[in-house]
Amino acid sequence: MIGGLFIYNHKGEVLISRVYRDDIGNRRNAVDAFRVNVIHARQQVRSPVTNIARTSFFHVKRSNIWLAAVTKQNVNAAMVFEFLYKMCDVMTAYFGKISEENIKNNFVLIYELLDEILDFGYPQNSETGALKTFITQQGIKSQHQTKEEQSQITSQVTGQIGWRREGIKYRRNELFLDVLESVNLLMSPQGQVLSAHVSGRVVMKSYLSGMPECKFGMNDKIVIDKQGKGTADETSKSDLGGSSGKQSIAIDDCTFHQCVRLSKFDSERSISFIPPDGEYELMRYRTTKDIILPFRVIPLVREVGRTKLEVKVVIKSNFKPSLLAQKIEVRIPTPLNTSGVQVICMKGKAKYKASENAIVWKIKRMAGMKESQISAEIELLPTNDKKKWARPPISMNFEVPFAPSGLKVRYLKVFEPKLNYSDHDVIKWVRYIGRSGIYETRC
Amino acid sequence: MPYLGSAETVKELKRALSNPNVQSDRLRYRSVIVRVIRFMTQGLDMAPLFMEMVKASATVDIVQKKLVYLYMCSYAPLKPDLALLAINTLLKDCADPNPMVRGLALRNMCNLRVPGVSEYAQQPILSGLRDKASYVRRAAVLGCAKMHSLQPDAEIDGAVVNELYGLLRDQDPVVMVNCLRALEEILKKEGGVVINKPIAHHLLNRMKDLDVWGQSEVLTFLLRYRPRCHSELFDILNLLDSFLESGHSGVVAATTRLFLSLGAALPAVQSGVLERARGPLLAACTAQSRELRFVALCHVQQVLRSLPGHFGAHYKKFFCSYSEPSYIKFRKMEILVELVNDENVGMLLEELRGYCTDVSPELAQAAIFAIGRVGQTYSEKCLSILTGLLELKQEQITSAVVQTFRDQVWLRPQCSESVCAAIVGCEEHIQDSEGKQALVWLLGVHGEQIPGAPYVLEEFIDSLKTEQSPAVKLELLTATVRLFLSRPAETQDVLGRLLTFCIEEECDMSVRDRALFCYRLLQCGVEEARRVLGGPKSDPSLGLIAGRPEEPINSWAGDFNTLAPVYSRGDWAALTATTGGSPSLLPQVTGGAAQADPGSVEDAEAVDSAAAAAHSPPDPGEELCLVSGPPLSPELFERRWLALEPSRRVSLGWPGGDCLPETLQAALQLVNIQALALSRLHARPWKAYLYAHCLGTVLLAELLRDPDADGLQVTVKQDPEREEALSSFLTVLKTVIQTLGNSSASLASHD
Repeated sequence: MIGGLFIYNHKGEVLISRVYRDDIGNRRNAVDAFRVNVIHARQQVRSPVTNIARTSFFHVKRSNIWLAAVTKQNVNAAMVFEFLYKMCDVMTAYFGKISEENIKNNFVLIYELLDEILDFGYPQNSETGALKTFITQQGIKSQHQTKEEQSQITSQVTGQIGWRREGIKYRRNELFLDVLESVNLLMSPQGQVLSAHVSGRVVMKSYLSGMPECKFGMNDKIVIDKQGKGTADETSKSDLGGSSGKQSIAIDDCTFHQCVRLSKFDSERSISFIPPDGEYELMRYRTTKDIILPFRVIPLVREVGRTKLEVKVVIKSNFKPSLLAQKIEVRIPTPLNTSGVQVICMKGKAKYKASENAIVWKIKRMAGMKESQISAEIELLPTNDKKKWARPPISMNFEVPFAPSGLKVRYLKVFEPKLNYSDHDVIKWVRYIGRSGIYETRC
Repeated sequence: MPYLGSAETVKELKRALSNPNVQSDRLRYRSVIVRVIRFMTQGLDMAPLFMEMVKASATVDIVQKKLVYLYMCSYAPLKPDLALLAINTLLKDCADPNPMVRGLALRNMCNLRVPGVSEYAQQPILSGLRDKASYVRRAAVLGCAKMHSLQPDAEIDGAVVNELYGLLRDQDPVVMVNCLRALEEILKKEGGVVINKPIAHHLLNRMKDLDVWGQSEVLTFLLRYRPRCHSELFDILNLLDSFLESGHSGVVAATTRLFLSLGAALPAVQSGVLERARGPLLAACTAQSRELRFVALCHVQQVLRSLPGHFGAHYKKFFCSYSEPSYIKFRKMEILVELVNDENVGMLLEELRGYCTDVSPELAQAAIFAIGRVGQTYSEKCLSILTGLLELKQEQITSAVVQTFRDQVWLRPQCSESVCAAIVGCEEHIQDSEGKQALVWLLGVHGEQIPGAPYVLEEFIDSLKTEQSPAVKLELLTATVRLFLSRPAETQDVLGRLLTFCIEEECDMSVRDRALFCYRLLQCGVEEARRVLGGPKSDPSLGLIAGRPEEPINSWAGDFNTLAPVYSRGDWAALTATTGGSPSLLPQVTGGAAQADPGSVEDAEAVDSAAAAAHSPPDPGEELCLVSGPPLSPELFERRWLALEPSRRVSLGWPGGDCLPETLQAALQLVNIQALALSRLHARPWKAYLYAHCLGTVLLAELLRDPDADGLQVTVKQDPEREEALSSFLTVLKTVIQTLGNSSASLASHD
């Protein structure tokens, strides 16, 4: 259980403080202890869990904002962090980016949220959709609450389906489905993949009337690592239907929104659910096998004497020529004692940014199966510092219009038996976006 | 930050709040209240406005109500009498037709933390428990817990407890979990909520409906349940198996912990569970958020304590990424070292070498020490890497490498030759005292293999005046004498200078004493000095450097998924020792593990938990005061025992089965009760003599287990008489005995 929750700005000023239990002692002391020991501490953060005077502070930092959960009890650390993330998600859903200004402007709302999400330090209700009913946003009329609204609350608070209310109506029934993936890579200078994984999310926006039942299918082949997991699960080859085997992907692990019927997933591997209204995350997954790496970075660094470095970096796009990657950015780190840089690149724009100690090379668009290169001469100041340059890895950012894991949506069916619209009447949109996570090549 | 003129602000707000014009305009009224809350958050004292704010709570506007409630809950403890004024409004709201208003009012009434509130709250809570809206029931259930925490000494209302047990069958999952939470707090003194077979099975069946927080907590509560037979145990394992794949690492860890505890007596099950949990744990180690990654890594380290090679095939998952925070990198390095095997050693060392040039000097040093630890098994490869690092000629790196060399040479004497060749010239790049000590030690012990050794030492001695660290000087003295013994001609002059300086000009007493010691030692003759100083140059049996042996799974299974793995072991020990408190669920749980099989593997745990349980007084306010006083000799004990009259005779329930005397003794010692003598394990009658010091009195006790009589007869004598001391002694003793055993002890006095 959580004894209290504090939000600080980067200077250590308290923006929000909410104490749930008396056992964390004087609010002032707890608040100050964290400021002194963590935010103002000289050295870098030693651990995300800090113990000050027998009280544990769990902290996460979002841009300039610190969120800290405080407890005296021996709690489950992973759970507290998960809770803090959830809290961030909820806040983001309400007012966008978590920044000092946003928090100051919305502090009444945040107090309200904190009141509903936690009671006596125990998480109560953390689903953004369901929370909306309880949160009286600024300026909402509450004394004139109509009978209808009241009954909605009642059905919401008593009903079994906590994430959707009855009686939703839309003129146009629409569904938006986004497959958002972030691909992470760590590659050795020789081009050997040291680690790679994709973490993906299927995000849906549903504007459907009534209480529709949805069924979602994708090209999943859950290959259970027999050795790693005790029970032998049948792989779902039958699910693949007509499509050829090589197009299926192995998902390492996945989790679903609470609306998905897990029992059905376990028995038939089918994903069926009654969707919440509006935007939500249907599933989250991770894959590590057969990842399509959209870009390959080939670095060549040569030290010419003590005062000069020659860097050549080639990037190769590795996907269908008809597709276009966007927002490509390659960040080539330079030594601290760089005095000047000359860059020549065939495509895009490259600039040396002294404040970031890096050459930043930006390309707006790049088609598949192309290659582009940049070469740079880096002049170095002679220094007495014998410290060898640590050569940080070359990192990359990009966005591609396909899923690097290979995931494909096969179908998404909607059934609403009570209202008279069928699956064909629903307008469905599917989009794939692959972004770079930590995409690094050592040099 | 309270700023000047806060009195002005309060006055102005007060005027605004009581202005009828403001009051009649809902939006203006609300915005004034928002300002009050804003100042409150900034730390301004808004307590003087309490009256006006209480008045503002009588409104139909929910937004305003919420704001006022927030204010009241913060300031009510400061103004308890005024807070009661608000109760009328709250009571009225508790009967509002809108469930949201009812829930809100009930929750905040219970949050007030004012002594008198419990009488008023009782009725609304009771009706709230039966409300048709689950939102209200949730608040009511936790309200029971809040009322209890307000008056922890008040008698427990059996009706409420029964009602809560009944609500475990509520159709709303959050209500159910709240019931568990509330019962746990209310029944804390009696060992928390009882999980019997029907409740356990009910909880198991409801698991799927719960949200992740609920799941994780219910899994922890289930730790308390012991399945009756193997088939039931395996049914539970099968039922919960899918939770190992949950995407929330907290649920995964909680499930693993439960499985490990269920399989405490079945090693095959435990290893199967860890095998099964490997995938999910690895997945958590590559989680998106760094804090979760950190927590997962801590748990991986726990598993590695028992199964060092468990993640060997997946070592690449623990490679550090450049942008990761250092706390993750440190953990990953520690793990990588554990995972080394014949196949991956090449890749792994290559990776570790990459970290040695990290920007952060601490990380670089840690990486070098990690290579050193790998070197205990793969010495040649590591030595060549380390030697290569010396060429970088950087201070921290050189220092760490030399320190690693010292340990290497000590553990593996065969590599001394290559080390001695490598360290030539290092002295120019070492600045910190640890590095200097290591280098000087090497020069002293292996001086005969290093041609320039005397001259390097001479340089150190020449700069002695500027040397800050006494430890370096001490090391220098020993090393120079050692070197003198092996190479007298080259060292004599330097040694003379060193001794003169240390005896005549040194202020630090320890250094001066050491110098005098060396001087006198040399006066005894060379042979004598050699005999004293020339101990073995290597001793692989010095296990401290070599690392630790494997531990049984049960030694950490109870701590899995608590804070214990997250804090370093030292921190954790300090934390639990000084609090003396048992971290919430832990004692009951481990105690539970002990009952399944008393007197076997879990003994150590039973001792800990017994001590922890005895340490945590029923009421945090009441200090137990058994202290470790002067020891009592058996003769003295006997004399006193015979001289004194028994102050109290008590019979305690004895746990089923036997308890090893060692276990009992260790447990008692932890709570400062000394055991003078104990009978052997199966002796009948079984006797034990104990004594303790408390509040300036000495307590003597005899424990007697007669085969004829049931239970354990305790006779306590006291000198001088003190009632409080006697009762606290008995409480502690009772807790220890109870925790060691399983039957509920009945404390029956026979005065």
